[in-house]
Amino acid sequence: MVVLKVHDIECAYGSVRVLNGVTFSIERGGFTGVIGPNGSGKSTVLRCISRVLKPVRGSVFLDEHNLYGLSALETARKMAVVPQETAVNFSFTVEEVVLMGRSPYLGRFQAEGKRDFEVAARAMELTNTGYLADRLITAISGGERQKVIIARALAQEPEIILLDEPTSHLDINHQIEIMNLLQRLNREGGLTVISVFHDLNLASQYCDDLILMQNGAIFALGKPGEVLTAGNIKNVYGADVLVKKHPVTGRPTVMPLARVQQKNKPQGRVHVVCGGGEGAVMLALLVNHGYDVTAGVINAGDVDWETARLLGIETAEEAPFCLISKNSHEENIRLIKSADACIMVSIPFGRGNLKNLEALSLACDWGKPVLVLEERDIGERDFTGGQAGQIYDELKKKGAVVLKDKHEILKRLKNII
Amino acid sequence: MNAHGKVWRWKVLVGILVLVLGLTVVFCTTIGPAPVGFVDVLTILLRKLPWLGNFIPRGDWPESYETIVFQMRLARVILAVLVGAGLAASGVVLQGLLQNPMADPYILGISSGAALGATVAMLFNTGSQVLGMYAVPLCAFLGGVITAFSVYNLSRTGNRVSMPTLLLAGIAMGALLSAMTSYVMIMSGKNIHQVVFWIMGGFFGRGWEHVKVLLPYVIAGFTVMYFYAQKLNVILMGEEQAQHLGVDVERLKQFMLSAATLSAAAAVAVSGIIGFVGLIIPHAVRLLVGPDHRVLLPASALVGAIFLTMADALARVAAAPQEIPVGIITALCGGPFFIYLLRKRPYR
Repeated sequence: MVVLKVHDIECAYGSVRVLNGVTFSIERGGFTGVIGPNGSGKSTVLRCISRVLKPVRGSVFLDEHNLYGLSALETARKMAVVPQETAVNFSFTVEEVVLMGRSPYLGRFQAEGKRDFEVAARAMELTNTGYLADRLITAISGGERQKVIIARALAQEPEIILLDEPTSHLDINHQIEIMNLLQRLNREGGLTVISVFHDLNLASQYCDDLILMQNGAIFALGKPGEVLTAGNIKNVYGADVLVKKHPVTGRPTVMPLARVQQKNKPQGRVHVVCGGGEGAVMLALLVNHGYDVTAGVINAGDVDWETARLLGIETAEEAPFCLISKNSHEENIRLIKSADACIMVSIPFGRGNLKNLEALSLACDWGKPVLVLEERDIGERDFTGGQAGQIYDELKKKGAVVLKDKHEILKRLKNII
Repeated sequence: MNAHGKVWRWKVLVGILVLVLGLTVVFCTTIGPAPVGFVDVLTILLRKLPWLGNFIPRGDWPESYETIVFQMRLARVILAVLVGAGLAASGVVLQGLLQNPMADPYILGISSGAALGATVAMLFNTGSQVLGMYAVPLCAFLGGVITAFSVYNLSRTGNRVSMPTLLLAGIAMGALLSAMTSYVMIMSGKNIHQVVFWIMGGFFGRGWEHVKVLLPYVIAGFTVMYFYAQKLNVILMGEEQAQHLGVDVERLKQFMLSAATLSAAAAVAVSGIIGFVGLIIPHAVRLLVGPDHRVLLPASALVGAIFLTMADALARVAAAPQEIPVGIITALCGGPFFIYLLRKRPYR
């Protein structure tokens, strides 16, 4: 059932239009996140549906009532709002602040009754702030204060709770505590949650639905998996990111990628032998330094493979968890042939990727410069019973240069090419 | 703490303050050339109570004592009570609404508007033929209210009033009107002693007529302010949050500003500009009882009444037979006390 309906609203501060034609509806019991860059209008959406900023055009319906036809009092009994931060200069106790949540229910004589105290006590229990009851609101930490403000919101006994970046000023422990609390209230108490988020990952982990805003309009709307794609984020935020599934929750997780700096003149072509995530940093470094990079042989789906794909690197690849086949080995050799230099990072060797060493051995035979990054001793990463170590030693004899550090590799590379 | 305990504590506190105020009124009524004793005054006053008064025996005081108490002293004491209560309550409300510790009843320019009005009335005898002794209070009241109303409208955009703008507009308007008052004083070429005396504030020569003029404003003003006391607490969380907690913020501001302005302007009209009561009493009482307006407002009004009544008694006796304007006493006591508060506990 739809509890909040926003139809084609247009909002403005003075003559500056900040929202234009925003339409969406929120199901009862939903957990919705509003995301978007600074100035995209996400906080304005919240102000508009919390009856603070009346839209110039369009309408907002709360439980099928026109929101701007309701009084502040009627609205406060259905909807509570938690701001980003609350600065309180007056020394109320925590309990007194939570009791202010009962304000919309107080009668003429203004004193809170037994039931008001019970509701406030329960709200403090839910938010785990009961132990703060007699402390002054001015003398507790930001995280505690935010929980108290949530308790105050719950004391309003709302159907909907709106939050504006509720955890953006808080440590990760408080962030998680507050988000878990909201999730519990949502799932067990049936509370409808609508929150603005700055942190895309937080939004992704906790929300059922996301609304992605851009320039005062909705850019995308749907499940986190549909909204949080690298493409959407590039479009809206202009940022290069890597989107992966969270290993435990399966929700999309956004990771920033360092911006790739394209140099004007190509520095030369480098082939990197890597795999299993050992080469990702080296690949990015080389691309950033303007080299034309290739890589191989990498099993599809591993971190190096994904990185190579994101960086647009041509790769000799093998199916996941398979031995290097004749085809991919030949592809690897082809890439080595066309490279000005080869680099091997500190990968472990098993029977599956022994062919990579053989390919490099050929490179040495052809007189290609081969740089070996030895961050760990070969003995520690030889799982072939000595076979890999043997070829490795031969490589050294054939003139491969062993270096201990990625930056030494880059320095040496500059001299070669 | 449960609801019952808190409200009970408030009631006890207010009860004690009412008692202290009663004793202060009696005590201050004993002050004067004729030696009317404390018990005499108490009995004379209690005998005036409806019904209950019939059971209290008359003491053996001369007939003239009752005349002295009722005709000469009590009105002035009651006026000090009302002015003190009105200014302190008004100060509490404005500090809350503006969320500014420097706010006082005169922040909207009431004092300078009233001073201009009173100055014009005194120096040019404006309306004295028709209004007689009411000319100065009326002109002062109008001056104050018109100024506050202009300041309010200056800081209004559409339906909303910006509190920071209100503060600044009040200061600007105050400066403008003070300059005009000074100009009128200098250029009138008359004796300005009376004007200066009025501006310093005091109760010299005030009587029951002044009480009658002021009483309705203070009672109506306080009733409105007390009615919205709980909402004023919520406003302290910030205007937007107050709205989310169901408070019709703009309407609350209108009612509260009107109540505070009218009480303060009426108080100024009858007693001149008595400073510091509306500024320090709210701060001192807040340190004592906390920020909850449901107790802060009545307690401040009572403490303001007690303080100003005592200050006026001091004004009468300190340099007798010469009388000191009470505004000088309040500033002399209030200034150092305020500094003491600031040093002792950081403002919270």
